[in-house]
Amino acid sequence: MLKYIAIRVAQIIFTFFVFLTLIFFLLNAQPGSSLIDQFTDPNMTAEMRQAIAKSFGLDKPLHEQYLIYLGNFLTGNLGVSFSNYPRPVIEIIFERAPRTLILFLSSTTLAFTIGFTMGKILAWRRGKVTEYVATIGGVTLYTIFLPWFGLMMIWFFAFILGWFPLGKFLDPVLWRGAPFNSDVIFGQMLTTASAVVVALFIVYFISRRLDPIRRQPTQIGGALVIGAAVLAVWIPHPAARYALDILHHLILPIATLATVSFAGSMLLTRNSMLETLREDFVMAARAKGLPDNVVRDKHAARNAMLPVVTAFVFGLALAIDGGVVTETIFSWPGMGQTLLQAVSRKDIPLAIGGLIFGGSLALTAHLIADILYAYLDPRIRYS
Amino acid sequence: MTQPILSVQNLTMHYATRKGDVSAVDDVSFDVMQGDALGLVGESGCGKSSIANCLLRLLPENARILQGAVRLDGANLTTLPEDQMRAYRWKRIAMVFQAAMNTLDPVYRVGDQIIEALHTHIETMTNAEARERVAELFKIVGLDPALMDRYPHEYSGGMRQRAVIAMALSCNPDVIIADEPTTALDVIVQDKLLREMCNIQKTLGMGMIYISHDIAVIAEVSNRMGVMYAGRLVELADTADIFARPQHPYTYALMSAFPSITGPKRELTTLPGEPPDLLNPPPGCRFHPRCPRATSVCARDVPAFKAMDARHSVACWHPVEG
Ligand SMILES: Nc1ncnc2c1ncn2[C@@H]1O[C@H](COP(=O)(O)OP(=O)(O)OP(=O)(O)O)[C@@H](O)[C@H]1O
Ligand SMILES: [Mg+2]
Repeated sequence: MLKYIAIRVAQIIFTFFVFLTLIFFLLNAQPGSSLIDQFTDPNMTAEMRQAIAKSFGLDKPLHEQYLIYLGNFLTGNLGVSFSNYPRPVIEIIFERAPRTLILFLSSTTLAFTIGFTMGKILAWRRGKVTEYVATIGGVTLYTIFLPWFGLMMIWFFAFILGWFPLGKFLDPVLWRGAPFNSDVIFGQMLTTASAVVVALFIVYFISRRLDPIRRQPTQIGGALVIGAAVLAVWIPHPAARYALDILHHLILPIATLATVSFAGSMLLTRNSMLETLREDFVMAARAKGLPDNVVRDKHAARNAMLPVVTAFVFGLALAIDGGVVTETIFSWPGMGQTLLQAVSRKDIPLAIGGLIFGGSLALTAHLIADILYAYLDPRIRYS
Repeated sequence: MTQPILSVQNLTMHYATRKGDVSAVDDVSFDVMQGDALGLVGESGCGKSSIANCLLRLLPENARILQGAVRLDGANLTTLPEDQMRAYRWKRIAMVFQAAMNTLDPVYRVGDQIIEALHTHIETMTNAEARERVAELFKIVGLDPALMDRYPHEYSGGMRQRAVIAMALSCNPDVIIADEPTTALDVIVQDKLLREMCNIQKTLGMGMIYISHDIAVIAEVSNRMGVMYAGRLVELADTADIFARPQHPYTYALMSAFPSITGPKRELTTLPGEPPDLLNPPPGCRFHPRCPRATSVCARDVPAFKAMDARHSVACWHPVEG
């Protein structure tokens, strides 16, 4: 297993450098993309321009520039953004990437969970009216034009009902003069969320090893303890109000993305599940006297999940596109919006940085999915 | 005489299809006594698996039990609510399926799948006790207990078959149904497993219903046997008795197609025609179109399942005299 992971990691790193090379040359080959030409800012002095030009080795031929870029990249230096001069690209990425990650991870996880759950129930209770409603509804949402749908969501839930803010990452009025930095608070929220996920997994895996009568109490007890711990940390937290504000801003974009994308997993799960239900081991599971929900979840759905996971990974690349669109609609200051701005302002270092982020995200997702798949299907040989 | 552990009475089951009802099980009755190994023999498609699935009530959605009862401990399994039925499955009646190779879930360890059955029916059992029980079962069926932590794809066909038998034995059922459990295996493994299964059944003293289209296999494993034709049970008796004195013309034909080494030599007769389409079975005795002894009554009235003596019943207007 470890060897398998090591090989996959090596492959992914190789792919990443191919990708990096491609975007470097592609972006620098754009007509009129010479970096010097882009400095139309009258505030910028000639020295500043020269310093930048030199730091990038712009007087050198492109292939040498590439080698220098690679060298810098390995030391974690992605250059300086021109449109945000003199902020380093890496700093901008560290500021905005978490906002995108949370949007991306929450919505895809949510979409997968909803899609998978609905898909397996649809297959299990075949031929009911709910099946037609859910299928038609899901396909409609899946094929809907995302920008239009996002605007409709904002119009209805934020403008008409007023349940959610109209977009953005936080409420500037509330945060004006706040004694906290929003990125720090957001970082703490992310840490909490990750800790909760990890803790839940640990409880789950421990409980699986216990005797059956102690399993459920352990799971419920563990979940309660984790919930209590989160509340104990955040209720007395001086920035709790501010954290809630960020949370409030997160809901609508996550819900929008999840709504348009869950149907893919749902329809796939349904089809895969219908096939699995014909398998003999499902009949055997029923013969063993297992309750219906155990037969459905532990045996049928668990096997039906395998092809869905594969397809889900291939869908991740599309989800990143959807992320860029969603961030723009919701004025969400994440990497998607940053990339769009960088491209429209011809800020090449930042654009490359944004693309590197997107690429790494897709490749990491691929790696995780591979490992997950090998874990889910014992028949996969680790070679 | 003692009470039967399982009693099937006038069981009738149809499959509803677009073309009409398939009469897969028609008015079938038999008892299984403690320690009995009842063989059910019949051609492919005569409803053997359908009977087995009725007993555990693992039927497809288009199946309808129209009549009859499956009695176990005074409960009628055909009308029991689903949640109560669950307690009977595996604990009282376990099954080794026809496609036994595929009855193991590929994503779980073999031992864990047996433990799952144990935990479902014996909730207070600890993991350690369950593992011990699995090890014991593995030894009974001739598997190395160390194999319990392997996945099904790491097993050979014969090993999987043994594991499936171990799983069926796990909860000490009163009755085990074995539906052609060895068809997917090569002949040598098949023969070995068959003998071992018989031994296990005799030592543990449970009832067994062994289903096969192969009369030689039935002769080897069973002490009682039922002969099925086109959804009906046509003859039921002690195995030795049926081989010595087949009463139903169909059984007679089957026997003569099975040259016996010890018994007197019979002329090999082949039956003309095909078994009937169960969508539209012939009236009267379902065997009459192929029967050399058929008369007009056979085409008109269904022969009753009559006891010739205490242990030998036959459904025929003109039984072969033994
Ligand atoms: N779900 C179903 N719907 C309609 N007809 C069915 C269904 N299942 C079985 N049948 C029909 O019922 C009859 C009995 O089938 P069954 O599987 O019980 O036969 P069998 O004796 O076990 O045959 P085999 O030896 O081939 O396993 C067959 O004619 C079959 O075509
Ligand atoms: Mg069958």
